[in-house]
Amino acid sequence: MKKVLSVIIALPAVMFIMTGLRWLVDPATAAAQFGMPLLDGIGLSTQIGDLAAFFIAGGMFVFIALITSKRSWYYPPIMLVGFTALFRVLAWLLHDATLAVQMIVPEIVIAVLLLAASRIIPEHE
Amino acid sequence: MTLATIQGSSWPRLLLLAIVMPLLASSLPAQAASMSTSLFTESSERPNIVLILADDLGFTDLASYGSEISTPNLSTLAKNGLSFTNYHTAASCAPTRAMLLTGVNNHRAGVPNIPEMIPPQQRRHAHYQGTLGRNVVTVATLLQDNGYHTYMAGKWHLGMTPDLLPSRRGFEQTIALADSGADNWEQKPYLPIYEKANWFADGEETTLPEDFYSSRFLVDKAIEFIDSNHADDKPFFTYLPFQAVHMPVQAPQAFIDHYMGVYEAGPQALREQRHANAIALGIVPASSPMVTMATTDDWQAMSAEKKRYEAKRMAVYAAMVEAMDYHIGRLIEYLKETDQYKKTIFIFASDNGSEASGLANQNTSLNQRVLRAQNYNADYTTLGLKGSFNAISPSFASASASPLAYYKFYVGEGGMRVPLIIAGDSIPLKNELSNAFSFVTDITPTILALTQTAKPAERYGGRKVEAIIGRNLLPLLNGHTKRVYAEQDSVGYELGGHAALFQGDFKISLNRAPLGNNEWRLYNIVTDPGESKDLSSMMPARLQNMLGLYHQFTIDNKVLPVAANYYAQRQVALNGLQQRFGSQILLMILTVLVVLPFYLVYRLSHK
Repeated sequence: MKKVLSVIIALPAVMFIMTGLRWLVDPATAAAQFGMPLLDGIGLSTQIGDLAAFFIAGGMFVFIALITSKRSWYYPPIMLVGFTALFRVLAWLLHDATLAVQMIVPEIVIAVLLLAASRIIPEHE
Repeated sequence: MTLATIQGSSWPRLLLLAIVMPLLASSLPAQAASMSTSLFTESSERPNIVLILADDLGFTDLASYGSEISTPNLSTLAKNGLSFTNYHTAASCAPTRAMLLTGVNNHRAGVPNIPEMIPPQQRRHAHYQGTLGRNVVTVATLLQDNGYHTYMAGKWHLGMTPDLLPSRRGFEQTIALADSGADNWEQKPYLPIYEKANWFADGEETTLPEDFYSSRFLVDKAIEFIDSNHADDKPFFTYLPFQAVHMPVQAPQAFIDHYMGVYEAGPQALREQRHANAIALGIVPASSPMVTMATTDDWQAMSAEKKRYEAKRMAVYAAMVEAMDYHIGRLIEYLKETDQYKKTIFIFASDNGSEASGLANQNTSLNQRVLRAQNYNADYTTLGLKGSFNAISPSFASASASPLAYYKFYVGEGGMRVPLIIAGDSIPLKNELSNAFSFVTDITPTILALTQTAKPAERYGGRKVEAIIGRNLLPLLNGHTKRVYAEQDSVGYELGGHAALFQGDFKISLNRAPLGNNEWRLYNIVTDPGESKDLSSMMPARLQNMLGLYHQFTIDNKVLPVAANYYAQRQVALNGLQQRFGSQILLMILTVLVVLPFYLVYRLSHK
């Protein structure tokens, strides 16, 4: 059970890292995936810097959690993904953004999986 | 201004002016420079120039050069000027365009080959990018600076980034295809190496209209551009590089119908017929022999069904040529209606010889499957129409190049000798042929002379620029001379290891595999344009002398060698893969590199 769950949460972690690296290697494609234009100047710097860091760090947190088997390492990726889903809803409610259900649902699923893993996998508190 | 101010605060400015003015003077177009060779010295009115470039059009694909294809508008132009029978261009697209628009050797202009064919080891060198360098000035820039409106509608293929597009190289209004080719019926790439067909309008990505057909659309745009400034007095320069007749070979059904049943005798019969026509028209000498090309399949051995299919492939090709001619006719008609025709000079040429890279067997089930992946088919009934992929067959390409040997991408005459027509009411010679050697670099200096525009000095626009090496062809147009290159003058050329050098009536050439044997040959291309008789053993001293000149050419133009196993078509596939999927492959490698240490640590810590 623990092994299966480890593999299940490792997959989105790999995808996170790949997405972060895509921002570094091919930002135009990465931006298109997220439905945003590629900016220039400081905007481009923020797009690449913040988003690459977000995804690569998110993926690495999961791997560190799996390696150390410490529950506390699960919380950063849970917060990253969970807050993203939450703030997307707020963006829809407060700022007329599109309700990106196709993104919110996977984010909630991943957050729930990570939460479950944090309860089942760790051997250390 | 008082002495005090000069002595005071203005001195630094004067000093700056003293430094800058000579630089500016050398970079500005010196319009007052020698114009003595211009046709228009007695008239203050400078002519409009329409420079038309066909794509992959073979030596005898025009009626006035011996073709059975109906090209009445180009024939009319030929009657109104001079047709060149010994004009040479590069053996592939982008190098021709670089030389055509600058008058500078393509290696020095940054376009030694089409970018799709440049191997990575050559691409490390700045002048091997396959895009037009900033060290050359285009004829459009020179004309624009000399008071011309400058327009372009058609294939560019000299760079795709914003700073490399024609809108940044002297063209005032443009619609440009940045790729090596594209579909003629819709905005669709013709090769899987491209993700999309990259069209730009005035430097911005653009979308083609629903009712697009390339030749019609490009002429419509050219007319629209010319018409937009018709009210003012400025002359115009219009560059009209057609997609016709580059693959995919496509044409409207009405034109295809004209050629159904015309090609049933097969390619060899057509090659012989065109040879005879070319002799009758004086395009080649009566005694000129012709070789049989290895790419020409045995027509008699083919099944009736195969013959029917191959004949239609060629019919579509002929239709595409005729459609181009028809739309050129529309442009001419527009110029007549708006009273601009009489003051317009037309220059028509092809960018290289006939293309023989099409598949010999185009409609096999395997190829149909590959084509389906690109939303194409090669079905007989719809051949040449929207959704159909067609190319001239290697067999019929030998007829298109008749009576010459070799094709596009090779330095045989079939790859490099193409039609050139310079026509207009102001051209003194009418309906004449010239067998004087001429080269694609001659077009820019000829246009400059026609338009009373000076060549660029050593510096132009604030930067050092390459000198024009081409010759002004006006003395030929005036009938003042029979040749513009003296017996001892030489012109070198290299393309992916294929090599050639022209001197007087002679030419040495080396063609690599698969069609060539990698050996130097010597031909007299005036008496033997078909390159049937190698003279190297009969004239060893001339061969050695010309080899020495070629060696010097490679040094002067920084020609880089290719690897022994370099094969152009394979390089296109490799470069295409890298361009389309390179970032994905890099992404996968980086992901593995990032994830792998975590996995190893995980394995170690969970043993």
